[in-house]
Amino acid sequence: MTELIQQTVDGLGRGSEYALIALGIAVIFGVMHLVNFAHGELITVSAYVAYFLFTLELAWWVYAPVIVGTAVATSIAIEFVAFRWVRGAPDFTMLLTSFGVHFVVAALFVMFVSANVRNFDRPDWITNTISVGGINLEVFDLVTIAVTAITLLATVYLLQRTMFGISLRAAAEDFDTARLMGIRSNRVIRGAFVLAGVLAGIAAVFVLMRTGRASPTAGLTPMLKGVLAALIGGLGSMGGAVLGGFALGLVEVLLLARLPDGWVGLTNGIVFLGIALLFTFRPQGLISVGHAERV
Amino acid sequence: MSPAVVQRWLAPTAGGAVLVAALVVGGFLYALTGGGARDALVTQMLINAIVVVGIQVYVGNTGVLSFGHIGFAGIAGYVFAILAISPERKATIIPDAPFGLADVSVSPAVAGLVAVGVTVLVGVVVGLGLGRSGARSGAVSATMITLALLFLVHEMAVNWTELTGGDRAGLSFDLGDSLGGNGPVVVALLASVVAARLFAESPWGRLAQAAREDDLAARAIGVDPAVLQMVALLGSVVIVAVGASLRVYELGTISPRFFFFDYTLLTLTMLIVGGRKSVTGALVGVTVITVGNELTRWLAGPDVSITGLDWILRDGLSEIFLGAAMLGFMIFRSSGLLDDWELDRWLFARWRTRRESRPAPPEPVRHSESVLVASDLVVDFGGFRALDGAGLSAEASEVVGLIGPNGAGKTTLLNVITGPVVPRAGSCRLDELLLTGLPVHRIARAGVVRTFQNLRLFPASTVREHVEVAALAARGHGAGREAPTPESLLVLCGLWEHRDRRARELDYGTSRRLELARAAAAAPEFLLLDEPTSGMSDSESLAMIDQVRAIASGVGAGVVVIDHDLAFITGICDRIYCLDQGRVIAMGPPAEIQADPRVQAAYMGTAITAEPSAGGSTPTTAPP
Repeated sequence: MTELIQQTVDGLGRGSEYALIALGIAVIFGVMHLVNFAHGELITVSAYVAYFLFTLELAWWVYAPVIVGTAVATSIAIEFVAFRWVRGAPDFTMLLTSFGVHFVVAALFVMFVSANVRNFDRPDWITNTISVGGINLEVFDLVTIAVTAITLLATVYLLQRTMFGISLRAAAEDFDTARLMGIRSNRVIRGAFVLAGVLAGIAAVFVLMRTGRASPTAGLTPMLKGVLAALIGGLGSMGGAVLGGFALGLVEVLLLARLPDGWVGLTNGIVFLGIALLFTFRPQGLISVGHAERV
Repeated sequence: MSPAVVQRWLAPTAGGAVLVAALVVGGFLYALTGGGARDALVTQMLINAIVVVGIQVYVGNTGVLSFGHIGFAGIAGYVFAILAISPERKATIIPDAPFGLADVSVSPAVAGLVAVGVTVLVGVVVGLGLGRSGARSGAVSATMITLALLFLVHEMAVNWTELTGGDRAGLSFDLGDSLGGNGPVVVALLASVVAARLFAESPWGRLAQAAREDDLAARAIGVDPAVLQMVALLGSVVIVAVGASLRVYELGTISPRFFFFDYTLLTLTMLIVGGRKSVTGALVGVTVITVGNELTRWLAGPDVSITGLDWILRDGLSEIFLGAAMLGFMIFRSSGLLDDWELDRWLFARWRTRRESRPAPPEPVRHSESVLVASDLVVDFGGFRALDGAGLSAEASEVVGLIGPNGAGKTTLLNVITGPVVPRAGSCRLDELLLTGLPVHRIARAGVVRTFQNLRLFPASTVREHVEVAALAARGHGAGREAPTPESLLVLCGLWEHRDRRARELDYGTSRRLELARAAAAAPEFLLLDEPTSGMSDSESLAMIDQVRAIASGVGAGVVVIDHDLAFITGICDRIYCLDQGRVIAMGPPAEIQADPRVQAAYMGTAITAEPSAGGSTPTTAPP
């Protein structure tokens, strides 16, 4: 029982990162029907900025806002350089565009920094645990979960109560009609990328604190997990993306903990297999948004 | 020789051979200028060409973006390596290989065959999954399944170290020159390219391309995309597996990263740059990217130094080139350099046009005795009851009209009969056959074929190809009904002059007539026409009366037609059903319906005196 609680907290901590990234991907998918394989680049760029700050020997609390800012700036830049030009293009084109952005950014870092991994120190408290009634919980997990919860609540407020949020949800529902109602597409799309940038930035802070490394492919794994989580939840469903993220985190932690020795290396493989099966039998994801095609 | 045979067999084979010859000769001329390094480069280019052509067979014909083909390549590569490596070498690098594989010793050719077989088996499983997920052009879930395959193969290669040597060491070996020079590579490339072209021109390929252009429109003429995609996938996987085996053979080593993201990027970029819908394009893409890659590698190498540019001439340049090529083409020319242009098709089209004469329109044929009956249909969309007990019956010898105010349920009724919408209650039958619950393509095959209100043509196909594809679909499933030739239907529908134009270039009226011609070519017993005159001028829609009648008697089909143009509908129909709020409120001959006060109340709000124009059909009294 104790073990299960510990694992659940661990899984929720891990799932928090996925949820934040997945939510950003779902927001972008909502407004422009793009599955953003370049979303991880926000984390990659942030990682190098974090590394740079580390070489300046600044404190971690300085990092966090700078990382979030970097992610937002990167998000806007990518939209401006690449995605703006393929708006409304077929899904095939947009998928490969985001795939291309991913490779160009990774190659830029190989070119101008190095293909090698740069490590930086992580804050001391990251490995601390506290004991609650005999259950050892990692402080880092608790911080992650708490910050994520606050972020998600703020996002819900933004989406439900502000003009921007309502425009965004309207655009996600039916972009053309939203435009007819006077919602400005440029503003909504840019806003979606800013929001996705903030969410990815917060996730980046946790990812970087946990891994303490910058590399041209630092964002690859978080991006993949985010995309998968968003798909599990049913692309376009923002609540689904968050649930998908937590579900993925929990499944991974439970697999890691419960698999027999020698199988642990296959955790990712099993997750991918599960994902493939999910899309086979429920291509619309767990939560269906259901945009039936008009005939 | 008949044009059909030339188009189907001769042109693709000859065209493929010319393309491969050009690539091989060009490559080896380049190799002559330099040493062994260039030899190896050319060999790698030819092998990449095999893999890219393999991917093209699936991605090009179905429109489904696959990241998984390099996963298939990885499976083939490992199977090949593990079988072909000598037992002595295996005793050193993978002594603990399971299933007694450490002692297996077969020739590279046999190893390649087994690799192909194993990969095809995996392909069957993946193909079933893709089919189950409803894969179609641009489907994200299908792409994710393929991506999962790529990762799954990579994870297994990394973790199953007893078999694969793991991530770091990989498997390296020396098979010598046991296959004999570049011969096998060239032969394999030739076979792949010719097979890819033959497939694209085969009924399977052409129907798959139709489904790629518009999934629902293809199903509505009887095409089952899932089957075609499976065929394309297996053909594709065979070619990729051959290419992968050759790649491993030539490199003499394999490790998990050989068949992962980088190779996926390389091969997909080659395909995209050249034009994914074209085999010629795939080969052009391979050439362009190989040359570009070499150029950037040379620029980034130690031999070149340009003052002021050294900051860019370094490691990563060729990756930037690849990524930028993909990005640039996606943004500025997503159809690639050649789009769907094929060398042999281009040559063949001129050959055929020169010697073609206008055929006669088809002779009227006897209508069958079939009856189409829909009864007591109920359909709810959320809280809205679109159909509330509506139904109709039609005989194959009559033209039945369907009128009613907007929102009365006319199109929904058509959607229920043809399959896209499944009713909550009620049933549709064609004679004894229960249509309700059957998939769209099965209903079309049974002989109930429709047109679409909002035009669903295959934008990139020519007028002639539309009709040919529909005829192929009808012949493929052995409908057993005699259909006029595609050419005579073109004449009948007034499309002969437009036959070599692409659908996206046609004006509205011509597009509508093409919808009609395509449906007629699918050997229908009943043609269901959804507003065939919408957007047409008065004179065009009056001309439509004769055209629809001529088509109906040319293919011997009954007609059910929805339209708002009363002059058209009363001019063409034997009987008319009037729908309102999901119910049939009146049925009878045109004159009777026109005089029916209920119809007048529901449909016009006032008496039908003035003839409304096509757009003027909005009910003046909105239904509550």
